[in-house]
Amino acid sequence: MNATPTFGRLGDHAVDRRRFLGLIATGAAVVGIPGLLTSCTTAPAPSSSAGAAAAGDVIPKYIPITYIDPDYPSVNGSVPGFESIPAELVQSVTSVPGSGLTITAMTPLWGTIPPTKGNKYYEAVNEMLGSDIQFQITDGNVYGDKLATVLASAKDVPDWVCVPTWNLPPRFGSEIVENVFQDLTPFLAGDKVTPYPNLANISSDAWKFCVFNGKLYGLPFPGEVITDAIFYRRDVLEGLGITPDVKNGQDLIDLAVELTGGSVWGAEDLWNSAAIIHSVPPKWKLDGDTLVHRVETDEYRAALEWNAALFASGAVHPDAVADQSGEAKARFQSGKSLIANDGVGGWHEALRDNLAANPSYWQQPFDPFEAGGGTPVLWKGNPANIFSFIKKTDDEAKITELLAIANVLAAPYGTTEYDTINNGVEGVHYTRGGDGLPVPTELAATELQPTYIFLVDPPISESHVQYPGYVKAASEWKANAAQYATDPLFYAQQIVEPQQYASIGQPFVDLEKDISRGRKGMDDLDEAVETWKSSGGEELRAFYQDILDQQS
Amino acid sequence: MALPELVRRRPPTTPPESGKAAPPAPVPTRKIGWRVRLKRDRSLLLMVTPAILLLAVFAYVPMLGNVIAWQQYSPYTGFLHSPYVGWVNFERVFTNPLFVTAVENTLLITAFQLVFFFPIPILLALLLNSVVTPRIRTTIQSIVYLPHFFSWVLVVTLFQQIFGGAGLINQTLRDHGLGNGFDMMTNPDTFLVLITMQSVWKDAGWGIIIFLAALSTVPPEQYEAAAVDGANRWRRMWHISLPALRPVIILLLILRLGDALTVGFEQLILQRGAVGADVAEVIDTYVYYQGVVYGDWSFAAAAGLVKGVVSLALVLGANKLAHVFGESGVYKRA
Repeated sequence: MNATPTFGRLGDHAVDRRRFLGLIATGAAVVGIPGLLTSCTTAPAPSSSAGAAAAGDVIPKYIPITYIDPDYPSVNGSVPGFESIPAELVQSVTSVPGSGLTITAMTPLWGTIPPTKGNKYYEAVNEMLGSDIQFQITDGNVYGDKLATVLASAKDVPDWVCVPTWNLPPRFGSEIVENVFQDLTPFLAGDKVTPYPNLANISSDAWKFCVFNGKLYGLPFPGEVITDAIFYRRDVLEGLGITPDVKNGQDLIDLAVELTGGSVWGAEDLWNSAAIIHSVPPKWKLDGDTLVHRVETDEYRAALEWNAALFASGAVHPDAVADQSGEAKARFQSGKSLIANDGVGGWHEALRDNLAANPSYWQQPFDPFEAGGGTPVLWKGNPANIFSFIKKTDDEAKITELLAIANVLAAPYGTTEYDTINNGVEGVHYTRGGDGLPVPTELAATELQPTYIFLVDPPISESHVQYPGYVKAASEWKANAAQYATDPLFYAQQIVEPQQYASIGQPFVDLEKDISRGRKGMDDLDEAVETWKSSGGEELRAFYQDILDQQS
Repeated sequence: MALPELVRRRPPTTPPESGKAAPPAPVPTRKIGWRVRLKRDRSLLLMVTPAILLLAVFAYVPMLGNVIAWQQYSPYTGFLHSPYVGWVNFERVFTNPLFVTAVENTLLITAFQLVFFFPIPILLALLLNSVVTPRIRTTIQSIVYLPHFFSWVLVVTLFQQIFGGAGLINQTLRDHGLGNGFDMMTNPDTFLVLITMQSVWKDAGWGIIIFLAALSTVPPEQYEAAAVDGANRWRRMWHISLPALRPVIILLLILRLGDALTVGFEQLILQRGAVGADVAEVIDTYVYYQGVVYGDWSFAAAAGLVKGVVSLALVLGANKLAHVFGESGVYKRA
């Protein structure tokens, strides 16, 4: 399945950014946004269902490698954590893969766009790769707009293009991917991946998600099992003498109300949290033999009611009520609001951005709980939330060279390649502190922005050792949360939906906001669901039912 | 700003019998061959060429793209190969309840702003015109122009910071124990007032330029003569300033009517979430979501085309009406 909160909008930049900021450095997963945008066609769909079913034969063989053992091993698929930097790094690729080719690559960036001329970080990595990757970097918040334009004109497409799942333009699966991008199946399927051990080290689920219409097109940026968390400002709450004990949905609202006063509000818009604690399925769930869409479920209804109750309690920051979601993170980090939803990757980013000015800064996610106090069900995030594609070419040598380069970029934690890609050059971008930890230099702030990571990534690991206590806290929380992780229906399948259903979910995006803010009620939801059914929802159900039948 | 000037100075319609007094230009051209005319006007034609080219390339050629409104269009098949579907897209537009809401909202906003926004620059211009000291006048002018250059993101943020629930006013009220105040940024019922306030703050100052230009062409002698005849300020404004402004007001009103279906796209899309789509969805935002976001280009093109045709009809109708009342309007057939 492509994306979790189903009815997101491509245009909703605020949401993209907030959620994405959570993602960036670890590559922590963001739950993608526009689920329904996946693709489409108006002409007879190339039997869209084929993609998922046939994935098994086309994905690379999984050959795991371990360079160093994690201090916090993976539990139920949680992210392994590394407390320290190994003294001896391993060089995983011994020969320089590139032939001096100049490669253009288009990537997003959520940060300050670094200089491309005379950038020592790029020089160092490109030297390691043996080829010159020239980046065309675009602000991540508007990346989708640029992507849609570039992809509509095949001749303008760079050699290597990063595509976040939430920016997948309409008709991607049905028309774009095969016309614009290279089919990698002949180069990577099954045993053919062996020359690229670091690519073979990426999980099968992540690869499976890169399969469109039965062919392997993408290179994955593997995601987290649990993508989102509900954070609170532990440092502020400790200052107030409050130790939160949140066991159910009502507890959370009560806490938010308790924290509201003066110019501080308890919470941001917690709609995503509401979906988590009510286990709202990302798209479909099975009720007996019948597929039930997210918007028809009791969980969805309960989540809306809960969020409306939160808003009605007055504990939501007024700017969040005004839907100024782009500044949610700023409000939370500056202490104007104390509970907020974020991607798990937002945790260490917040530490990066705040520890210098506020050494006691600490945000902590609540341990998973269910709204009614029962056992939580956390739906697994997409196995990859970002992928990259190689432009279609007849030049086989170029494809293999690009894949060899991807193999270097996918080197996991504990290798020299990973170290250079993430930390830059010693003495230029960082110096070793007394405890052996890298201390970034000023140059790192301008030059060392994450860019290569958007082309391909190793399996995700938690190794932000520079923030005291972080790896332990994060690994323990993730291991705990992972025990509740559940596969959603159609997990890890890239399903290409017909275009005519693209906009039938639109009213729900507005409705979620309207109901939360008390402008509309549950009757309006009933009405919207009826409209949804009659305007294509039933056909969509039949479409997915077909896929389900083929798989069973 | 030259346009009103021209309009104002256009000579009164020449009565047909005074043929010999008619301006010489239009009549003889009929008799001169086009080669001669080409030669005579070549420098003028040369000067106008870039503008015509620009207009053709960026306005007229793209108009051909409207053909996708009758197709089931996809950019990956191109409009040459996309199948024609007749009027299906238009039928979908007119039967779509969301489109109808968008049209209603658009018309409501236009009507409201016509009454509460349009006259404000006129009043401001009259007011400024009566300020005698040039230094004070230019200072005020600069200050009221300034917000025009702010982007809508900035304007909406400023309003949020001042009038929002956590804004300056509410915070002050709360600090003085005056309750939880109000939150006009998220109230759908007062949204119309809010966006009009924003528009006035941002653009009213800019709007006075044209009116000031028109007022500056009134010879001071007229005022002096009126004053000598005993006309007070009010009568001078009514009988001298306002008549001077009338052609400009009519012209702008007609142009505004042409834009009746275009209301602040950015302003509304930025505040859509705060008040809900029921009051903030207008034709432009609707077309954006359908076309760009959901990739239903043909449907969006059909909706856009409907809007364009209605706008054109409005401009032509208003222009005709202006002629009926003896005004020149936007243009007049020679």
